Amino acid sequence: MAILHRVEPALALRACLSTFNLQPSTLISVVVIGLSHRTSPVELRERFAFADEKIPGALKALRDSGIATEAAILSTCNRVEIYAATSLPPAAAFAELKKFLIAHHAFDGALDDELYVFDEPQSLHHLFKVASGLDSMVIGETEIFGQLKQAYELAFSHQHTGARLNKAFQRAFNVAKHIRTATNIQRGSVSVMSAAVELAEKIFSSLAEHEVLVIGAGETSEKTARALRSRGVKKITVTNRSPERAAALAAELGGRAVPFAQWLDEFEQIDIAISSTAAPHHILDRATLEPLMKRRKNRPLLLIDIAVPRDIDPAVNALDNVYLYNVDDLQSIADDYLSLRREEAARCEKIIAEKVAALLQANKVAAPDEA
Amino acid sequence: MAWFTDRHYFLLAVTCYGLSTLYSVFLWRKGFRRDDWINYALLAAGVVLHTVAMLKRGLTLHSCPVNNLYEATTFLLWALGLACLVYSLLPRFKFLCAFTAPVLFTVGVFALMPSLDPPHGPKPEFSGALRSLHAATSLQAYGAFGLAAVAAAMFLMQHHDLKFHKLRAMLSLMPSIQRLELITLRLTLAGFVLLTIGLAAGQQLPRPEGKPYLSDPKVIWSALLWLVYLELLAARMFFGRSTRRFTLGVTFAFVFLLLTFGITNFYSGLHHP
Repeated sequence: MAILHRVEPALALRACLSTFNLQPSTLISVVVIGLSHRTSPVELRERFAFADEKIPGALKALRDSGIATEAAILSTCNRVEIYAATSLPPAAAFAELKKFLIAHHAFDGALDDELYVFDEPQSLHHLFKVASGLDSMVIGETEIFGQLKQAYELAFSHQHTGARLNKAFQRAFNVAKHIRTATNIQRGSVSVMSAAVELAEKIFSSLAEHEVLVIGAGETSEKTARALRSRGVKKITVTNRSPERAAALAAELGGRAVPFAQWLDEFEQIDIAISSTAAPHHILDRATLEPLMKRRKNRPLLLIDIAVPRDIDPAVNALDNVYLYNVDDLQSIADDYLSLRREEAARCEKIIAEKVAALLQANKVAAPDEA
Repeated sequence: MAWFTDRHYFLLAVTCYGLSTLYSVFLWRKGFRRDDWINYALLAAGVVLHTVAMLKRGLTLHSCPVNNLYEATTFLLWALGLACLVYSLLPRFKFLCAFTAPVLFTVGVFALMPSLDPPHGPKPEFSGALRSLHAATSLQAYGAFGLAAVAAAMFLMQHHDLKFHKLRAMLSLMPSIQRLELITLRLTLAGFVLLTIGLAAGQQLPRPEGKPYLSDPKVIWSALLWLVYLELLAARMFFGRSTRRFTLGVTFAFVFLLLTFGITNFYSGLHHP
């Protein structure tokens, strides 16, 4: 187990600020209030979620109330956050924002640790982290970047942002892009499906020329087949004990269905097989596959067994040109990648601390009277 | 600068290959996760110096420098190094350099032994267009076999990592194993064609009285190599031999070639009169 040398974000930020002799501005500051997957369950997050069409109205109400001079709302399945530029002292701003959230959603329960609040410079640090996917459930994911951009563009198009938030968000997007290129935070597959796709790309030169057989029309095999399709696979064959389900999935994936009794006949053509049947025993063993491999002239064959209990006898992996991965193998790849991303997060935190300090420096130069 | 001979240039080339080997160890230790140009640049510098060394020797002799074991070995290494630089330009193939550098370095150090490079007489023993064709194509064939063995070694490593579910297989920036197999097959095929031309040209060369062509150890050795590679190619292309066995065969055949090249050359009456 490698020892991780993590940089404590707050300490790193403080060190950067003292290096540049910077203090956050006192007149208008950027603050954040919100709740996320880290602090609250989905039942609570959904109570506070903002529908897209309601956000402009909420932003207007927030500004009209005098709590914020600029504001943007980020509402996703994993977080609800209000970014506001305010002239109120932080404590007063947080109290008002909390009241606004509760009133807007007509929430009558108790809120304590579920809500988090940040004043400058931590608010900027948090924004940069969110944009870079460091605060996401799957660390380093990129979907949040698009969601944050959408949230900002919505606020911008309705003229609810100004100099402070514009600069903060633009910088956050730049930092996220820089982190994406300068670090390995997004490297690798962190889900079973994407690990299977990456594996296929390590074996075959071009997925477009290879055929996939889906044995058992389960949810995971469907998702894996879809992931392979998105990476170029053109020919997909589906087989299932229920022919209707096979035909339906084949139609959805743009492939063809074959009767379950005939799936072994497909082995001469296919290069990747994804198996997830509910069979209580192995449906493919070494004795069955060995003659089929000879008929395939030993072309490589990737077998992905995501069924529990397993569909494919582990002994087939001993055959030449056969690569067998079960659900635990794929999960272990995803977990290893995730721990690599966590190691990389320390580097990202350091970059973010430097970028926050640079932004505060730029703000100080732009408005010296505020400092 | 007259004291700075072609052997000094070759020494510098071998030094570059040595540095590249050291860097290759570093890349290997890092799991081939960084696909950078440092190794390529080191190897390219080595090949440039190597080319200068061969040019200097060739200009002195006024013929292709393949007259003794030193020259034959340096020619073989040059063909291998140059082919590696060309193939490394393919996407994700820069790691060929990391696998080729140790071969260039170790065989290069061997070639530098003074006894392999005795002084030439007033006239080169080995001249003429047909002789040059024979020597150049045969040595280029060995270079192609060498690079095929390097690609085969990359295949075997990646195959092993994938088979045993090692994370390195996923993290490394190696090409897909299907691509590695294709490159190995093409290089072996190219080497085989070149060796066939080389042997055919050699058969046409005039021989000293009382020295039959097929009784010379080097000729027998070359014919044996030709048969080995023919079997490897035929089994893979027409009889569906597994990729692992094919790549293992290509690797072992080249190791055999490297280990016996000097010995057969030494005992050959036709090549070492």
